[in-house]
Amino acid sequence: MIALQARRSRRVERLALFGLRIAAGFVIVAMAALLLYLGFEGTKTFSADRVSLSAFLFSPVFGVDLGQPGSEVFVLGSLAVTFFAIAVGGPFGVAVGIFLAEIAPHRMTSVLKPAIELMVGIPSVVYGWLGLTLLVPLIRTHTSSPSGFGLAAAGIVLSIMILPTVITLSEDAFRSLPAALKEGSLALGATRWQTITRVLLPSASSGIAVALILGIARAIGETLAIQMVIGNATQIPRSLFAPTATLTTEIVTDMPGAAQGSLLEHSLFSMALLLLMMAMVLIVLVRFALRKRR
Amino acid sequence: MNRTSARAALLLIAALASTSLAACSSQTQNASGGGTSSAGASANGTITVAGSTAMLPLVKDASAAYQDAHKDVKISVSGGGSATGVTQVAAKAIDIGDSDILAVGHPELRDNRVAVVGFAVVTNPSAGVKNLSRKQLQDVFAGNVANWSAVGGADQKVVIVNRPRSSGTRAVFAKTIMGSMPISESGLVQDATGTAVSVVKQTPGAVSYVALSAISNGVTIVAVDGVTPAPDTIASGKYPIWSYEHMYTYGEPQGNVAAFIDFVKNGTDRVQKNKFIAITAMKVTETDR
Amino acid sequence: MALTTAPSARSVAATASVRARKIVDSVATVTLWVMATSIIVLLAAFVAYLIYRGWSALTPSFIFGVPKEREAGGGVGPEIYNSFYILILTLIFTIPIALSAGVYLQEYARRGLFREIVQFSAESLATVPSIVMGLFGLLVFVYTFHWRYTALGGALTLTLLNLPALLRVTQEALSSVPDTLREASMALGGTKWQTITRVVLPSAIGRLTTGVVLIAGRIYGETAALIFTAGLSVTVNSPYDLNPFHTAETLAVHLWYTRSESTVADVERIGDGSALVLLIMVLIFNIAARVAGRALTRRFTGRAS
Repeated sequence: MIALQARRSRRVERLALFGLRIAAGFVIVAMAALLLYLGFEGTKTFSADRVSLSAFLFSPVFGVDLGQPGSEVFVLGSLAVTFFAIAVGGPFGVAVGIFLAEIAPHRMTSVLKPAIELMVGIPSVVYGWLGLTLLVPLIRTHTSSPSGFGLAAAGIVLSIMILPTVITLSEDAFRSLPAALKEGSLALGATRWQTITRVLLPSASSGIAVALILGIARAIGETLAIQMVIGNATQIPRSLFAPTATLTTEIVTDMPGAAQGSLLEHSLFSMALLLLMMAMVLIVLVRFALRKRR
Repeated sequence: MNRTSARAALLLIAALASTSLAACSSQTQNASGGGTSSAGASANGTITVAGSTAMLPLVKDASAAYQDAHKDVKISVSGGGSATGVTQVAAKAIDIGDSDILAVGHPELRDNRVAVVGFAVVTNPSAGVKNLSRKQLQDVFAGNVANWSAVGGADQKVVIVNRPRSSGTRAVFAKTIMGSMPISESGLVQDATGTAVSVVKQTPGAVSYVALSAISNGVTIVAVDGVTPAPDTIASGKYPIWSYEHMYTYGEPQGNVAAFIDFVKNGTDRVQKNKFIAITAMKVTETDR
Repeated sequence: MALTTAPSARSVAATASVRARKIVDSVATVTLWVMATSIIVLLAAFVAYLIYRGWSALTPSFIFGVPKEREAGGGVGPEIYNSFYILILTLIFTIPIALSAGVYLQEYARRGLFREIVQFSAESLATVPSIVMGLFGLLVFVYTFHWRYTALGGALTLTLLNLPALLRVTQEALSSVPDTLREASMALGGTKWQTITRVVLPSAIGRLTTGVVLIAGRIYGETAALIFTAGLSVTVNSPYDLNPFHTAETLAVHLWYTRSESTVADVERIGDGSALVLLIMVLIFNIAARVAGRALTRRFTGRAS
């Protein structure tokens, strides 16, 4: 009786482990399928349509009718808005992260934390809608920009959108530092600010790097919020207020009308593949930063 | 450890294989299913229409009237753009694909012309122009004119509002006005007819090209070489920016689909009410242009 | 003379520099307070603005009505329905997979190649932009399986998109369960599986629920991954379709679509109303996550956390 029960529970055990392992394997399969499908579809521009990689990456003329899908504008656009977002939202986010970990009293934390959680939850279209109805008219009336759509509008919206990522991760970076580090510095007579800038900040640098890299990853992949405010013009912007486009916005703008098998469709998939590669590079960078910390 | 990874690899291969198997089986299913049903024989009596946003008002209006008269028929109409309409009907995803432009490279599609649509150049009133020559229009949209004062308008920066590359409206405008000159890429791009109009309304100095049926108050309609866009100037061939509205079907339309297409085409009052022009009213054909 | 003044000069300098450091310290503290407060102010302003604009649009005919392509007065009833439909479908797929994979990684897997690859795949999957995931969904479900645009295709795409986040939540929740609990259960003769299902998971349930509900909020507002998988329209004749193969435009997609693609007369009103409904839903999800997490933790473990 007991032996039977033991055998049954061993069978349950084995079955459960099998099921769990399949679920874990599914994660690998999903990523592999993603790479395979997008790798195959995204390289058709180069294999089927015989466009050279350098012409795709470095030509500013996106002329699919002429067999010339130069995507330089979109690559630069993606880099520009991402740079804007990380230059504005990055330091701001790290500062608030420091505040949460080192300065904020409990009452402030209990308001700020849920607020940041809410910021994560607000859908990207709602940020886009805010940008469109609030920011674009503001830029239109207060700057020389005639339409209000453009790089600045997109950059500002993105800066706000990456804040939760940067804040939460840099706060974690500071909290994970040993308490002795801080106490030692304070005991030596350093002020709180000196302790933060000279002791804690250098020690948390790899954690902050991770926060910023994941902020970049968030920015480079964001689509609809930017597409609603950037103007979607295929041009290299001459000023902060000029309309331009990014890899993600170009995909959303032209994909609905791209005929299956056309050069336009192929080049949009190539852009998606490029975005995927960028994300992978960022993940490798994160792993590198984390290894350095250990 | 080694056994674990070996098993994992096996698992991965098995899963990928099953994925592709599923893909193949559904493909064959689809092919056999699609072979028996031709356009118009939708078993449940639903007609799915998608495509050109310029055509939407006419098709929506007609579908409401048709469903009133035929209670057993359901018609679902949506936009998406001319290229979407053509792509989806060619893939048999929908029954009718609406398009402002000829579907090139699709011999399997049947072209059903149901009306003629006129397009107008519209500006924000602040531009201060009411008439432009074809040459001036080309210069404006090629990006060679920075300020409206250069073409007789107010001292106001030109802001071009474009439609996406796959837009039928953009294609018609490029063909009838621009010829071989490329449209400037520095303009804003708005996804659909409706948003192009609203951006022109809100933005000082903005200019775009939209279907006559989509124009509302708050924008200035620009005459081309002194000719204002109107049904009679288009029918007589004096006004150049127009095109046929196509309702593409996969093969010959049949049953309800054929009846609905005829209903759209023959309802000339409805066609005119929605600011389109009946095909029978045209005194010129596309080749005369 | 020189010998006597030097130290006092030094001490004066020292007090001066102490004062300077204190000033810098307070300035920095005030600056950080201002920055942190500005986030709360900004968020409050967003919420107030969305309520101000959207309030008048929230009529029964808007919330329960059927959308219109041209005329004013359309509603978003089917879109709200589709959002929940896709959300539930996505959770049905995501929860078992993420939970199982998380339990495997945290409780069973030893360090090794397989675990390393699973972990790396999960991290990579987590950074895939949602528009890229949407195109993957388009390739698989629309082009390869020929499903057209369907709620099921959208839900499966969202499953891939949110799997890594829920996997992470599971791993963190499990690792917060003290090892003493596991050891006690094993010592009492429980098998590993019994220990996990009867001891470890119940004590992690609070954190798990909080995580699931927060992720549910994100699924509810997802857009880019759905445009090319679940579609941009609802079937006007049967808007509340139960068939998972129906074309299912969600509320978030509708907000984008109305703004950028449609020709409807009252774009502003529909946009304002949809944005407010989305905001309210996110608020509900956030509050529910906290309340449910706390209540379940108390119920299953007897501690207040």
